[in-house]
Order: sequence, then structure tokens, then C-alpha cells
Amino acid sequence: MPPELESLVQALTEGEREQSLRIVADLVSGGMPSVDIITGGIEKAMAALDKKCTAEQFNLLEIMLAGRAVMAVIRRLFPDDAALPAVRGNVVVAVLEGDIHDIGKAILKIVLTGNRFHVIDCGKDVSVAAVISAAAQCGAAAVCVSGLISSVIPQVRALKPALARAGLAHVRVLAGGAALKQCTVAALNVDHVGQTAFDAVAYLESMTPAVVCHG
Amino acid sequence: MDSVARIRRTMAFQACDRPPVIAQVFAHAALACGRSVDAYVASGVVAAACQIEARARYGYDAVFAVLDLTLEAEAAGGEVQSRRGVYPAVARPPLAPDDDFRRLTIPDPRTAGRLPMALEMATCLRDACGDEALVVGLVQGPMTLAVQFLGIEKALFLAADDPDRFLQLLDYTAAVGKAFGLAQLAAGAHLVLVFEPAACPEVVPPGLFREMIGPRLKWLFGAFTKAGAIGNWLHIAGKTGAVLPHYVALGADIGNFDYCVDPEALLEALGDSRLCLDGNIKSLSFVTDSAADVEREARQLLNVFDRRGGFILSSGCEIPPESQEATIAAMVRTALAWKSGQSEV
Repeated sequence: MPPELESLVQALTEGEREQSLRIVADLVSGGMPSVDIITGGIEKAMAALDKKCTAEQFNLLEIMLAGRAVMAVIRRLFPDDAALPAVRGNVVVAVLEGDIHDIGKAILKIVLTGNRFHVIDCGKDVSVAAVISAAAQCGAAAVCVSGLISSVIPQVRALKPALARAGLAHVRVLAGGAALKQCTVAALNVDHVGQTAFDAVAYLESMTPAVVCHG
Repeated sequence: MDSVARIRRTMAFQACDRPPVIAQVFAHAALACGRSVDAYVASGVVAAACQIEARARYGYDAVFAVLDLTLEAEAAGGEVQSRRGVYPAVARPPLAPDDDFRRLTIPDPRTAGRLPMALEMATCLRDACGDEALVVGLVQGPMTLAVQFLGIEKALFLAADDPDRFLQLLDYTAAVGKAFGLAQLAAGAHLVLVFEPAACPEVVPPGLFREMIGPRLKWLFGAFTKAGAIGNWLHIAGKTGAVLPHYVALGADIGNFDYCVDPEALLEALGDSRLCLDGNIKSLSFVTDSAADVEREARQLLNVFDRRGGFILSSGCEIPPESQEATIAAMVRTALAWKSGQSEV
């Protein structure tokens, strides 16, 4: 890996936004294609963060600082919401009705974007119907719901049947967040329960390419 | 032996007739009594009646003078959104990152927002329970209030980008907690639980906890002790194994530990620390598991701590409002039937 990219990976994982942007400016002016900066810099940084995200080393502050730096670089490389190159699939993220805690969703969104997934953010306190509609509209490969309170569990359980009724049985359903991660896959009637955002991305990456790129 | 004596002795690692058991029940008390969450959070008198009735039904050792977790933000000028059937939420935080945190007014617990309702609740509970049950007040810790007063992203970025101003914010939120906590003690609470989930090592690095949050928690606990609290209770949810050994140095007598902290590993990490522990049945177990499952988990915990003492059987965090009554009853029944020294191999 070129030393400049190594420096970028380090700056991103340490959450150094300004330094990351300076390195990226140098890389771009040196002629490096944006897609190479994404795959060689941002994706490597996400992988390093994934490793760090072990039981005792993870903390939200460091992940948020790294996420802020990653998003700043992505916005610099692809301004005005231009699409990322070689997107792996569309993923709908949401916090379901009754829950307004969306920090978990914000982290997931950053981690998904940094790993080249296109994220459709439904927001917080949203109905199952709105999530299904978004999934249908974008041809989603997966729906990810984050929940901090246990009262959303019945809605999480309703997602897969609702997707099936809408002809979207192939769409994977993932759950995470402080309350939902205490549950089993069977109890939530989902395909995967992620203990962290990186765990959810690893599950999506483990899916066959045909499923990930559906739609 | 009344509940307050039982808890005092447990905090002091002295023998008791049985281990104390505390169900961290807030709005569940309303649902168990046929009332709504909306009614519970709207009246200190109603909430106190629900707490008293729920305790009479279950037989645990403490009642909580707690309505919900938006009181401080509302009192500080934030906008709180009522939501039918669930706890209210902070819709607009009271502060912005550019505010001068040194010039803010401390909300007066006697007049600001619904703080007086919480004080009324504490008085009702103490009048009804005396020392028969521990009356627990609650304030949110300085870090948790900082997160609530600014929004979590803004608060955490401020901590990283401008630590000096973030310390000013923590000084303010600690002062808000101190004023509210002291008022709760004066209104009848035996002690004040400091709820500080935003200080969890999963949220902030250990250095930030040690250098920024810890000194302010110590200051709070010192003030509560001076005001006559029978003990100090620090409640941080999540993976707190790395910070629990430091609680005693902060002035905490009771430390809550969540379901994700292994009890055996915690005992080893604590060594000969005299921190009384409170935990750690998974909160969701009260919703999804059977009474037999909860009873089994309770027995395991009582076994682990039987020899050490200094243990209050409880959940790892709040017992969700929609929990099954049978699971809560199973936890309480297990503690009530437990005789010290009966640990099972």
C-alpha cells in the first residue's frame, strides 16, 4: 500500500478529520482515482475499526470521530450526494415507531457507507409500512432496524411477514441496538441480530453476491 | 428486619436474614396496577400510588421516586414530547454547543417543569413506607445529562473537539444533578441513584471517564452523603467491567452491573473491594423468558455472591414496562426464600 494511503488509514481510524482531508487532497492532486482512495483507504480504515471493535476496545466516541472523518472524505470525493462507485447493494435503515433513539442507526449508516453500501435512511419513529415502501422503492437487499427500547419488538417481528406480503421475501432483515441485541434471531423473526454495526456489515458481506446486489 | 436495615447491612457486608431484592420497576408499576404509562408520568401522586401497590404485590425491598428520564431536560428548557403508551422523549434539547455553559441557570427543583412532581412522589413514598422499604431517588449523571442537553453527537464531538468547554458543560450538568438530588433527599428519599449510562466504556474511552466524569461523580456523591443519604448508588448500564473497580474511590456504595458483565469475572476484578453489587438479570428476560428461566438465573446469582455478601438481587437495568408479572415475581420469590449459606454446588 502506498505510504500516503497508509497515513490516510491511520488518520481515519484515529478520527482525524482535517488531517484525513489534507491527505486526500494530496492523493487526488497526485492523480489517484477516487475509487482507489475508497477501496485502499476508507475500506481499509473500516476494516481496522472492525478489528478494534472488540468487546473491551470499542467505544462510541472513537467510532463517531472516525465516522465523521470517513464521511467528510466521502463528501469531498463525491460531492452533492453523487453515488459511490461499485455499490454493493441498497440497504434500508430505520428506527421503528415508538423509539426515537437513533444514534445506533447513525453509526450503522456510516459503517455501511464506508463499506460501499448505498443507505436509504427512513429516520426514526417510523412505521413498518414506511420501511416496506422504502425497501420496495429502492430494491433493497436488506432492511436494518435499530432499537433501544423493547416495546418495538412486536414491530420488528412483523417486518418479515410484511416484506413477504409485499413480494419482498428475499430482503434480509437485520436487527441491532441495545434492546434488540439482547434477543435471538428466532425471538425477533429476523435473519440476523448484530451485536455491533460491524457485525451487521460482516453479515451482509457474507451473503452471496447475488443476494447483496439484488435490485 | 425491615428493608432499609437489610440494605444498610448489605452495603456494610454484614449478615442479613436474606439477600435484598430490588426490581428496577418504574412505569411497569403503573401497568401492573391497571394504570397507563401516560398517567404514571403525569402525576407524582399517581406514580407513588402505583409504586406502593406494585411493591405490596411483589414484596421487593425498594420503591423508586422516578417518573421518567426527561425531567431534567424539560426543567432546563428542553422540549419534551409526550407519546401515548411509552415514556416521553426529549424532542428538542435545551442547549446548543455555542451556549456559554458558565452562565446557565440551575433549574429550581421546587418549581421547574415536572421536578416538583418527583419531589412530591418521594414524599408520598416516604410517608407511606417509612423505613419499611428503601425510597430511591434518581438523578442522571453529568455525562448522561450532557448528552441529553445537547444531543449525543454534538456532546461527544464537543468532548473531543473542545475539552475545556465540555468540562464547563459537565460542571453545569453535575450542578443540575446535585440540586435535584439534594431536593429529593430533603423530600424523603433514603438515597439517590445516579444513572449514568453515557459514561459506559462502550460510549466513552476510560481516560475520559477517569479525568472528566469521575471527579464530578465524586463531587455529587460527596454532596449526597453530606446531606444524609444512607448510601450512594452508581448505575451505569452496559459493559462496565473495566470501570466498576473504581466506583468505591468515587464514593459509591452500590454499583449496578448489567447482564453483559460476567459475575465471576467481576468478582475477580473487584478483589477485596467493598462495593455492594446490584444486578444483573437481563432486563429483556422479564419480557421474553419464562418465570422458571428467571428463577434459575436468580439462583445462580445468589450462589455466586453468597459467600462474599454485599449483593442485591436485581435486573441489569430497568425492568421494561411491558414485562410479565410472573417473571418479576419469580425473581423476588427466589430472594425471599434464600437463606444465606445455602449456596448450591
